[in-house]
Amino acid sequence: MSPRRTEQGGRIDRARTIRFTFDGAAYSGHPGDTLASALLANGVSLFGRSFKYHRPRGVLAAGVDEPNALVTILRGEAREPNIPATMVEIHDGLVAESQNRFPSLSWDVSAVNQLAGPLISGGFYYKTFMGPIIGPLKGTRFWMVCERFIRRAAGLGRAGTVPDKARYERMNAFCDVLVVGAGPAGLTAAKAAAEKGARVILADLEPRLGGSANWSGEVIDGKPAAEWAAAAVNDLRAVDNVRLLPRTTVWGYYDGNTLAALERVSDHKQHPAKGEPRHRQWTIRAKTVVLATGALERPLVFPGNDRPGVMLAGAAERYANEFGVLPGQKVAVFTNNDSAYRAAHALKQAGAAIVAIIDVRADISADMLDFAGKAETEMLPGHAVVAAEGGRKLTGIKVQRFDAASGTVSGEPRSVAVDCLLMSGGWSPAIHLASQAGAKAEWNEALQAFLPPKPTQKWTGAGAFTGAFSTDEAIEQGHAAGLAACSAGRDHFDAPAIEAAPGAPGSEPVFEIQVTGKSFVDFQHDVTAEDVRLAHREGFVSVEHLKRYTTLGMATDQGKTSNVPGLAIMAAALGKAIPQVGTTRFRPPYSAVSIGSLAGERHGDLKPERLTPMHDWHIANGATMYSAGLWWRPQIYGHAGETVEQAYVRETKGTRGTAGIVDVSTLGKIAVQGPDAAELLDRVYTNMFSTLAVGKARYGLMLREDGLAFDDGTTWRLGEQDFLMTTTTANAGKVMQHLEYFLDVIWPELKVTITSVTDQWAGAAIGGPNARAILAACVEGTAVDNAALPFMGIVHGEIGGVPVMICRLSFSGEMAFEVYCGADWGTHVWETLMEVGKPFGLVPYGLEALGTMRIEKGHVTGAEIDGRTTARDLHLDWMLSKKKPFVGSAMMDREGLVAADRLQLVGIVSLDNRPLNGGAHIVEQLDEENPHGSIGHITACCYSPSLGKYIALALVEGGKARHGSRAFTSDPLRGRFGPVEIVSHHFFDPEGSRMHG
Amino acid sequence: MARSIEIERLSPLAQVYRAGPHGNFEDGVGVALSEPRPGSIVQLAAWPGEERRMIDAIRTVTGLALPDGAGGGVSEGGKAAFGFAPGKFTVVDEKDGLAAAFAKAITPAIGTVTDLSHGRTVIRIEGPEAEWVLAKFFAIDFSLAAFPLGAGRSTTHHDVFAQIQRTGPDRFDVHVFRSFARSFWTALCHGSEEVGYEVA
Repeated sequence: MSPRRTEQGGRIDRARTIRFTFDGAAYSGHPGDTLASALLANGVSLFGRSFKYHRPRGVLAAGVDEPNALVTILRGEAREPNIPATMVEIHDGLVAESQNRFPSLSWDVSAVNQLAGPLISGGFYYKTFMGPIIGPLKGTRFWMVCERFIRRAAGLGRAGTVPDKARYERMNAFCDVLVVGAGPAGLTAAKAAAEKGARVILADLEPRLGGSANWSGEVIDGKPAAEWAAAAVNDLRAVDNVRLLPRTTVWGYYDGNTLAALERVSDHKQHPAKGEPRHRQWTIRAKTVVLATGALERPLVFPGNDRPGVMLAGAAERYANEFGVLPGQKVAVFTNNDSAYRAAHALKQAGAAIVAIIDVRADISADMLDFAGKAETEMLPGHAVVAAEGGRKLTGIKVQRFDAASGTVSGEPRSVAVDCLLMSGGWSPAIHLASQAGAKAEWNEALQAFLPPKPTQKWTGAGAFTGAFSTDEAIEQGHAAGLAACSAGRDHFDAPAIEAAPGAPGSEPVFEIQVTGKSFVDFQHDVTAEDVRLAHREGFVSVEHLKRYTTLGMATDQGKTSNVPGLAIMAAALGKAIPQVGTTRFRPPYSAVSIGSLAGERHGDLKPERLTPMHDWHIANGATMYSAGLWWRPQIYGHAGETVEQAYVRETKGTRGTAGIVDVSTLGKIAVQGPDAAELLDRVYTNMFSTLAVGKARYGLMLREDGLAFDDGTTWRLGEQDFLMTTTTANAGKVMQHLEYFLDVIWPELKVTITSVTDQWAGAAIGGPNARAILAACVEGTAVDNAALPFMGIVHGEIGGVPVMICRLSFSGEMAFEVYCGADWGTHVWETLMEVGKPFGLVPYGLEALGTMRIEKGHVTGAEIDGRTTARDLHLDWMLSKKKPFVGSAMMDREGLVAADRLQLVGIVSLDNRPLNGGAHIVEQLDEENPHGSIGHITACCYSPSLGKYIALALVEGGKARHGSRAFTSDPLRGRFGPVEIVSHHFFDPEGSRMHG
Repeated sequence: MARSIEIERLSPLAQVYRAGPHGNFEDGVGVALSEPRPGSIVQLAAWPGEERRMIDAIRTVTGLALPDGAGGGVSEGGKAAFGFAPGKFTVVDEKDGLAAAFAKAITPAIGTVTDLSHGRTVIRIEGPEAEWVLAKFFAIDFSLAAFPLGAGRSTTHHDVFAQIQRTGPDRFDVHVFRSFARSFWTALCHGSEEVGYEVA
């Protein structure tokens, strides 16, 4: 038997043993244990070191509010820091480590920080940032020196450096009623709503649903509360319209009743089932929400209140009743309210000695005195704990007379030897989600707590969340909330009989025992009461500023235990009441959320890839694939031993020498159909399309509304009211949106439909001197000679038995044709062309050769239509119709867009026979050490096999006027500087004789 | 030379379509995944005010009687149709030739016909966990009450546009762009591992 495990009781499975390690030491526990409960049961009292002072820390709480016992969980090489030990379910093979200590938890060198307390008080880094001046070190330089050390010392835990291989998923859910919290209120609400037929989701962050029923020791409906809760859970599990989500923290309440929840699906398993994610991130869209999130107990603020062995009273009660663990053998209780008496009673029943109950109140009700008597303890009303003593474990406390009205102590302190001190500073309803949903919390003087605001979204509250701390109130409210959530009227409700310990709600307004010593308000960020007062003395009056200056409530626990005490101390310093000081609004997340769960399946798995119909052929034939947006396109079809440049030079020469074929399926294709299709095209293109004959294609240019160039491509007229628009690969989506916008918003009267048909068609461009001969050898049903298929003509025929559309147009500058067929036949047609093309020397080519040939021809792409260039800049002004207005025509002649010094398209030739770089500047001065005076930049570059030179396209001030002049390319990042000549962008066959045959 | 109807259409899923059980299937599979590979997928768009005539044309050509209202649909006898946007419909037939048939029935006064038989890939998910698996991907309420039999929805999963039709109480046909189909299929298989899945 473990030293602290009770003889009996608890909801753990004592028949089974689980083995795990903490800081390398082997421990055991039982199913149902948390890491905290199992370690406590093993007699461990020291769990970690604090953030700033590296003080030894134990366990303060038993749930999500735990600020001290943060551990790092190791899964293989992956490590996840800052997990409260209270939220870790143990399993065989669990490996946990303590944090913030070196070399060991029990002997930590940084504990010396405790001696430096005054130097590292609240806001110390702001002061460090400001100065002081010490010799050459002043201001920011001093900060920069300190920063290294502060950064090394700061932070909680250490993040892992290896990729997290765990699986994460996202999930969407819709329901009529989301019940958050599965205590007696939540269970009753879920049952009431489910019985009315509502679709219910019941989520609770604990593995065991039932909330306080699991540890209250109460009797509900004649059964121990835990059994009542288990039965209620079973009833809910049996019905189809309820989904139970244990281990699920609802952490965000957003607009439109959309809530975010994190389900820890398999953290508690040694081996997750196949396909089972570690975490599942839920987005829940609920028609209504029942918030039954309970309440969190507050610590009292007094010197040494952070010693290991000082624990929240409710937490100790939970350890005793739910986990069968005694946090100590000789226990004292320090409280400002009645609830802690129940904890004393529970620990007494579990086998601990209750040495004393120290209550700040002088007048204790007869009920509570009677109840205390059962714990066989010494009552010390009108007293306070003024010190907790010990190092790595509590050895004793000092108690003094205390006047709650004045907050002063008197008399001689008395020492009491204890190994555990339970404290209760009252209860704060867990109103975080309600606060996130909107509206400001309201202070309740009687309860000394912030209560939820009036709802601004569709939620109802129940139970301790509303400040109703008794179980019978929780069940009554839960039932009413469940009915209200599904808009059902009140019905007769046989509320179960409750047998509960006595006790009145509310607490004495005592938050701090103000005596000398380090009294912690925010345990996780090591913020003391004195830090709060220091902030006040330094002029901070706003609670928002206080928070940021002292970092109170800004740690991973988001101040669950510290916000109200901190506010109370600030209010006292300001001489104001708590509601006058106000409170900060809570923001998501309620508790820490794994980054992996936010990424979901997009983590290492789904980056959607767009594949062309011939993708597998490219792979099988040695293509190196290249991502172009989401598309994957062949870069080169490299031969063994070839460099990329050698490959594209070979492919370019092959195409210009005989014939080449390239996959152009990625080009955006939009079906533009309807009686007004031609009219739409006239409006969005700079040139005329209504005059285009059926069976012909035309190159078109679109401008943005601001007059800058937007996109280009050819549009084919397939029928009187039927056009096939092609766009650049990159801009397909944007052009589609552009057209949809104008049709939906500006010209709804136009009868035009537009449909993305990019994926309907496989496209292959075949070009080169032999291209026509190849087609002639395999196309059936149509001639492809100059008469039947002139430049920009379209014919329909068949290749390999498959219907195809062929348009004669050229991007490469060669006699070229684009062959389109149904995408599912794309590979068949491609393979047929390759087979037929073999004797004609047909070579497949990739993006590099495609780019090379277009640079040689001076054709523009997105590299030049970059959102800053105009049609004139790109020498496309011949396409600007003067006969009609079009999108952008009103703005394209603005002064700045027609200025003489605009960057314009030119060609660049490397004069030192070295490669040019995209993005490199063009400068006029020969000053390699200090390149300056950029007159433009290179947009695209290649080795031109046709010219035998390294060439580029560039945007250069003055454009054509510089043709024939010399300049320099300057690329300091890549160490390239050299002479270039500025020439026409038409490098190759400027007359187009090859294209026209 | 072989005619087009004899040339097998190559599915974008061919390389990744592995028939048989996968994932956590030892205790039974939660979903079956398949690719129905219809012969025809056609998109119809009615001009404003012409929706009724479009629905009539759909009935004339396919025999499918669409209900009024956005998102309504019907699926029977190897054919299916559903509205996916105001005045816009997707019609599917296991046989090819549907676009040509509609081209005759739908005059320019009614609306337009766009053949997408090659452009969209239909992925079918069927089984008791179909709603669960799809909910991992789409922010849509897949419950029968919210998503009735035959109905269609337009939605998106990350960058993958999708139209989804409920073609059975626990069966959905997901239409995705052909170029995304393999990526989406892979993701769908991955998401189905947890419940065990069988590729038919």
